This record gives sequence, structure tokens and C-alpha cells, in this order.
Amino acid sequence: MTLETKDDLEKITIALNRAVLDPPIHSPPPAAFGAGGPMLKQFDQSSASSRGGYSTPKSVVGIGGKVAKPDYSEAKIVIAMVGLPARGKSYLSNKLMRYLKWLEYDVKVFNVGQLRRSRARQKAQESGIREDHTASYFSHENVEATKLRDKLAADSLEMLIQWLKDGGNVGILDATNSTQNRRASVEARVTRERGIVVVFIESVCDDPAVIAANVALKVSSGDPDYATTSPELAKLDFLRRIKQYEAIYQTISESHLSYLKIINVGSQVILNRINGYLQSRIAFYLMNLHLKPRSIFFSRHGESQYNVEGKIGGDSALSSRGMKYARALPDLITDNIGNAPLTVWTSTLQRTIQTGQFLPYNKLTWKALDELDAGVCDGMTYEEIEKAYPEDFANRDNDKFNYRYRGGESYRDVVVRLEPVIMELERQDNILIFGHQAILRCLYAYFHNLSQADLPYIKIPLHTVIKLTPKAYGCDEERYALPIGAVDTHRPKPGTLSKDNLIQPSGSSAREYFAGKN
Amino acid sequence: MVAPLYTTDSGLLFHAGKILVLTVGLPARGKTHVSRALERYLRWTGVKIMVVSLGDYRRKILGSAGKLPSDYFTLGAKSEVSIALRKQVADACEDSIQKFFDGGGQVVIYDANNGVKANRTRLAEKFHELDIHVVFLESWCDNQEIIERNIRSVKISSPDYRGWDPDKAVEDYYSRIRDHEQYYQPLEETTWPSIRIINVGEQVITNKIAGYLQSRIVFFLMNIHNRFRNIYFARSGQSLIEHSYRADSDLSPSGWAYAEKLKDFVIQKYTKSLSERGIDGKSHRLVVWTSARMRCSHTAWPFLTGSTPSQLNVRIIEKQQMSEINPGVWDGLTPEQVKKYYPDEWERFSHDPYAYRAPRAESYHDLCVRLEPILVELEREKEDLLIIGHASVIRCMLAYLIGLPVSEIPAIEVARGDLIEVVPASYGVQTQAYHFWDGDNGDGSGAPGAPHKDESNLYENYAEDAKKPKSPLALHWEPTQIQTLRSEQTLTVHT
Repeated sequence: MTLETKDDLEKITIALNRAVLDPPIHSPPPAAFGAGGPMLKQFDQSSASSRGGYSTPKSVVGIGGKVAKPDYSEAKIVIAMVGLPARGKSYLSNKLMRYLKWLEYDVKVFNVGQLRRSRARQKAQESGIREDHTASYFSHENVEATKLRDKLAADSLEMLIQWLKDGGNVGILDATNSTQNRRASVEARVTRERGIVVVFIESVCDDPAVIAANVALKVSSGDPDYATTSPELAKLDFLRRIKQYEAIYQTISESHLSYLKIINVGSQVILNRINGYLQSRIAFYLMNLHLKPRSIFFSRHGESQYNVEGKIGGDSALSSRGMKYARALPDLITDNIGNAPLTVWTSTLQRTIQTGQFLPYNKLTWKALDELDAGVCDGMTYEEIEKAYPEDFANRDNDKFNYRYRGGESYRDVVVRLEPVIMELERQDNILIFGHQAILRCLYAYFHNLSQADLPYIKIPLHTVIKLTPKAYGCDEERYALPIGAVDTHRPKPGTLSKDNLIQPSGSSAREYFAGKN
Repeated sequence: MVAPLYTTDSGLLFHAGKILVLTVGLPARGKTHVSRALERYLRWTGVKIMVVSLGDYRRKILGSAGKLPSDYFTLGAKSEVSIALRKQVADACEDSIQKFFDGGGQVVIYDANNGVKANRTRLAEKFHELDIHVVFLESWCDNQEIIERNIRSVKISSPDYRGWDPDKAVEDYYSRIRDHEQYYQPLEETTWPSIRIINVGEQVITNKIAGYLQSRIVFFLMNIHNRFRNIYFARSGQSLIEHSYRADSDLSPSGWAYAEKLKDFVIQKYTKSLSERGIDGKSHRLVVWTSARMRCSHTAWPFLTGSTPSQLNVRIIEKQQMSEINPGVWDGLTPEQVKKYYPDEWERFSHDPYAYRAPRAESYHDLCVRLEPILVELEREKEDLLIIGHASVIRCMLAYLIGLPVSEIPAIEVARGDLIEVVPASYGVQTQAYHFWDGDNGDGSGAPGAPHKDESNLYENYAEDAKKPKSPLALHWEPTQIQTLRSEQTLTVHT
């Protein structure tokens, strides 16, 4: 056994030396273990079992393999929002859900208001009695209604805990939880379950401008509670509802609870007993959010030489059409944002740096924005890869998110390395990012809350600037496709027609109320 | 996220301007521990930082407590002599802070009690006029156990109490604290940006924290703790193809033997450490971090399949971010070949191995940036930790923990067959290397023999290949010494 391995090793060393010495003196040798040459296959076949006799874990052969999702089964957290109405609780839960879903945690928001509406709808259908959900329903003095609302909260929590036990990671209880009693009962219910912890997140706001903006958004955004009333009446009723809650509101200060209190959109933050890896990441993320209006621009580099040749990876320069795109960019950008300041981020590969060279703004290069590393396949065309490794190639096309190139990365690895970039993006003002196809797919999926299964098949064409304007519950998007021809590098998921398979975000950035569903 | 390596005209980074962190707190509240940890982290991100400790200055200028007038430490009314002496020390500190900022420094942490509101407001206003952002950092503790632990482990071994009986020293220190308590005003003013840490991280309250560096500081403070734990570093085993990044090859037979040996040795050390600390194995666990590269995660394989004592818990986590430094186009080339085919790049690399990035490759700086989330996770990990990694990655992590200047990173020697143990101590870390594997005789059979250095691995041999002359102030680190960061060292390096 050992002798055979030794023989093979010798053969490889000889072949390696030969391969390196043959080319002319001053041109660098080709990548010894690239998938294009014979070395990789030889190596795989020879090292079939390097560990004689013992059980071996699976090695990577060919050009890569699927990698399993990381094991998050230990994380089971209940996040209970706390705060008066119109303080941004649902906004925060929504942002948090998007962030955690992007990191592949299983997250679900349990909104008590929605449960209330769906139960009322059911009751109306069954018995014809329409409940009155105007401000008086929320008054503390309305004993009947208070009992009903307590039951609603308890039921939501039950559904949440059941969902966690069935395999969820983070359940967000979106309710006001405004009294110590209510919070104590939430905590008591959760402590009965082994392995589940509860974190309270309170949003406190006394800036009248922010509150007024929130109220206006609520009454104008299609909230089903106010579907049939005029905006002025709706606003009055909502303000009355807030007053009812204010009468009994107790801000969180129980020191034995684990909580995060955000005051006036982050001007003051209090963290109490935030232990645990996921909790501290959640806390840090929420501390970095801001509400200032700004725009995010994405663009791929201009068409590069490798794009024209159909090769992947590499560090090639722009083609002539790519250069035309670079020259047309400054006008496009100033048309859009005028004199406002703008930060420009590029990767360290020359094609993105060249694309941004004519812009007059401050530019920063980030290694984290470099294209997905294709490992042994770097510099080959898709046809060449298919010819050399047909099975692996089909495997990858079917499940690009999980497939890691040998010596390279998978889409999941790109998401992990982009996480600090996302954190930075949340803190920035206007920003323009010159990235690559895989990178922009991941960033785009984060902003539009697309699933990981769809992420690797999003269409991000060359020579197009995508403008995203973050709004309360989503992002508004505009695309500016410059009329400069370019190669299409999009590969749709096999088995589907490319026309039907365009991954699009769900359309509007308005809040989803699930009015017709349960 | 640490910004890429760039210098600005002013020498300041991150558009953050100059920052003065004023610590506030009674004695024995952990202010110095927090200042040192913060200093290590910020220096790691490339910021020019200095810690000015009032206690150290007092000892330097006036000598130990024995030589001082008896009412030096009592607050309230004092003799003329005491007042003059105290003013002398405080002025010296403030001058040194000002000089540092004028000389291009960016962050200063002023480690003192700062318990009187009027005094600290005066300080804050004085530096605010010079266009320096002031942040208060209060460490508040009402848990008697923590306070007693701090006093016993740190204070009574300080030069002030040399030659005292330990219990008497504790008594004396408590009386010092009691004196301060009378005049102490906890940080309640909200005019200045502030961070309050309560009971070593049980609660953290921030006020008006804006700016990139300030929010990194808060993030870091949320994650540190002062619980005792060991960190072990080991390299991955020898692989079939040692010098190709792309091939991602599996372990060689000698590598598998190494992995078995490593597992036995680590389990032995871990059980010994648990019994020394009087801890039952069931309530703790050994966490193993490996990278996702084949040879590295397979080195951890014996922990899963081999025989570990049943009462020990071991958890293995794979981290893709811990892959070795990407050699780019230099993949698979020996140093001679690199000199031949890329002479210009090799020139530039030898002048600045830390920051130079070869074509399509990563520089050590990029590697450090990539490892930053891992380092924060390292800080927050409360269990004993074994990191099985690649030489380049271990270099960066060791440099962070010990506090080495980043230019030293490429020259750190990490021998395969050494288990490096890093133990956090009160003001720094203690490191020690244990040799457990003598290598094989290079014939691929796994039989033991003389240590076998891989001649063709570019990064393996950099340390011997192109040794730069070290600056006289650099901390020279060798794996077999016990190295403790002493607080005085920082003063001399940065004035």
C-alpha cells in the first residue's frame, strides 16, 4: 500500500518538474493543478486512499463538491419586541429577519396584530359578528377586550414556540409587550422550554418628527384595520390607540431579563445581559442601522477580455466596449444624484478599478468584493469545464449555492465573506459599488429578501446600473441599462426556460399585511 | 470591518479623527484590563494608539506607595505637599497625551479613576477644544466577588505592595477603595458620548456613540470577558501535495499519524488543565476550530472517530474564513522559480512582506482583514479552544493575541509538531510551546525521524529566506519563552 503511494508520488514529482522546466524561460508556468491540465485527474486517481486501513472521510475529487449547510440547530431564540405603536418595531423585526435569513438562519415573524385580524375575520365569517377594533378595543379599561388581547398574545407565543421546536432558529414576536406583567409571562413561558432563550428588543422614541412619519406611513400604507376609513379619521383613531397604550406603558428595566433598548434610532443604546453568539450579532446589527434617506448603486465591471472569450475568473482588463461603458458612467451618475457626495467601492481586480477610473469621487478597494474564486477552474471556459468534468459540471449547475469549487469557493462562502460589507453598507450614505456577478447577486438578494435557492440565478447584466432606495419594508429599484453592447454571462437554472425564470423581487416595497390569508 | 491598507495625509484612519477615551471607575473595577484589550484590538486595526495609565506615571515619577505622604491617596482635604505631587503627576499625563496627538497619534486611552465629575468634565472640555472626540468609558461593578477577585489577582502583586502580607494588602486596598467611594460620582451626565460597562459586560449602556471607530469599540467591548480559558494552536498535518493551494489535497500517511498524536496530546493537556482548575469535564467542552481545507479538517478527524474519554465534550466547527493565505499566481512555485519568473514582484515582496499583494494573491494584510471576525469570535469564546490552522493564519492570530506589531507577522516561526498554548493573564497573555511530534523522515511512510522541512513551500520558508533586520523596539517572540506584556512597555514604545 505504502509502496504504491510512494510510486505515485514519485511519478507526480517527476511530471511536475518536467512541466515546470519545459516552457520558455521568462513566461510563467501554467497553474500546475488547474482543471484544464491532466495533473488533477492523475492526482485524484493516485491518491484514492491515502490512509491505509482506517476509515477515511470523503475527499474532494474532480472540480469540487456540495457542502452541507452549517448546523444551526443549537440556536433557538425568541425575540420579543417591546414598544408603543409607531415606534418602528415591525420595521426592526423586518430588517432583522432579512439579515438573519441571508445568513441562512430559519427566521419567522409572528405578528400579533395579524393574528388578531385573521381571528376577527374568521369570527365574522362564522358567526356574522364583526368585532370593533377601533381605539376603544385597546383600552385597558375594556376588560373583555383586554382578556381577548392577552389570549391572542399567549397564542402567538405558543405558535412561535411550537415552530421553534419544529426546527426554526429565531422567532420574532412582533407585539407591544408593554407591561412588566406581559413580559414576565412571556419569560415564564419560555423558561419552561429547555434550550430556548428570550431576548427583548425595545424601541423607544420621543422625537415627534420620527413618530409623525411612522404614523403617516401606517395610515397610508394599506393597513387593513383602516381599509375602510378615510386617512384623517384613521390618523385620529391611531393616535387615540397610542394614547391607550401610553397609559399603561412600562419601559423595560427588569435587570434579570436579557434586553436591548434602542432610544431615538440609536442615539442611546442599552444592552443588558446580551450573551450568546447570535444575540450579540443581532445587537450589533441593530446598532448600525440608520434611517437617513440614501441610494445604493450597483454595477458590474464593464465587459472584460475574459467575458469576450467566455472564460471565468482571471484578472483581465476591460474590452473596448467595457471602456466605453466606463467613460459613459460619470454623466449617468451626476444626472442621477447631482452634487451629493458619493463613496465608490471596487474590488481589487483590475476590471472593476478600470471601470471606476473616470469617476471623480473617493474610491476604496475591498478584497472582500473580489469575484467568487473558481479554484481549479479559474481561467477556463464553461465548455472546457464541461468537457473535462461533465458530471461535476451538471452537479454544480443544479445547486450552485452549495457547490464549492475545489480550491475555491461556493456562493455560501461568498455570503460569509460579504457579511462585513453588508454591515458597512448599512452605515453608509450614498454609495456606488463596482462588483462582479456573484458578489452583486448576493448583495441584491440581501436587499430584496430573495431566498438562497434563487440567489445564484439572479440576472445581473453587464453595462447596467441598478439603483436601490431602501424604504421602510423593502427597496425601490430602478435600472439604467446603457445602450452599449455586451456579452450575456447569465446561466439560468437547467431545466427551466430562461424567459420564465427571471428572478424578480416581489414588486413593491410596501408593507405586506397578508390581508386575505390566515 | 477593517478598512483596506491605505494611508491618509494626516495619518489618521477611517475618517474618525482623534479620539480620547477617558476611563471612569473605582479602583479594582477592571478598567486596566478593558483598556489593554481595547488597545490590542485597535492597534490590530492599524490605528496609532497609546494607553496612558495614571498609576504607572505616578510610580514612574514618584516611586512606589511607600515613599508618598500618608494622605496622598485620601480624597478630600490634603496637605499642600500631596496636592502639589498629585498635580505634578496629572500634568505629566496630560502633556504626554497632548504630545502624542500632536505627533500624529489617533487614539489615547487615559486609564485613571476620573471619579470626580468636575475633574473629568474639565479634562473633556480641554481636549474637546483641541478638536478631539472625547468618549467616557465607565466600568461599574457591584458584585463583591468580582471585585475581590480583581484585587487578589492583580492589585496585591503590583509594585505598590511589594513585600506586604497578602491579606494585609487586600485590607489596605479595600480601605483605599472606601476612600474613593466617598467622592465617587458615577457617570450619569449625558452631554458627552459614553459607554458604561456594568459587572464586566452584564450590561452595556451607550450614549451618543457615533462614528466608525467608536462603534467598533462598542462592538469589541460587547464581546470581551475576563473568564479564564486556554487557547491552543496547532498546524494541520502534512498533506500529499504540500505546495499547491488549488489542489486542496488530503493528508499524507505521515499527516494522519500526526493527527492521531495531536489528538492524544491535546486531550491529555486538556484533562490536566481541567483537573488543575477543579472543573468537571461534563460542564465544559473543548471547542475545535478548523478551516474548510481538506488537510485541516481531516486533522481534526481523530477527535470524532478516535477514542476520547467519555466524560469529555468536544465540538468541532469548520470555518471557511480560516483558509490559508491565497498565493495567487505564485501557487505551486518554489522561491527560486518566483525569483526567476516574477523578479519585480519578488523585489517588492521582500521589502514589505506584510503589505505586498502578489498578482491574484492575498497579502498578509488582506489575511488579517479576513480574519477579523474570527478574532472577535475568539475573544467571545468562553470555553477552551483548540485552533487547527495553517501557518499563515496562526501567525496572524498569535500576533493579535500577543500584541506584536503587524510588520513582524511574516517572520513568526510556527513549527509543525508544536502545540502553542496561549493563556490570557491580567495585563497580557502568556505563551508557551510544547513539542509533541518530531516529524517523519520524509519518505511518506509515516515512520518517525528527524523534522522534515518542506523546501518548496514559499510561505513556509519565508522566515529563513528573507530576514529583515528587526527594529530595536520590536517585541521579539520565541515560542519557548513565557512572554508577558508588561504595562511599562507600551509607555516606552510610543513616546
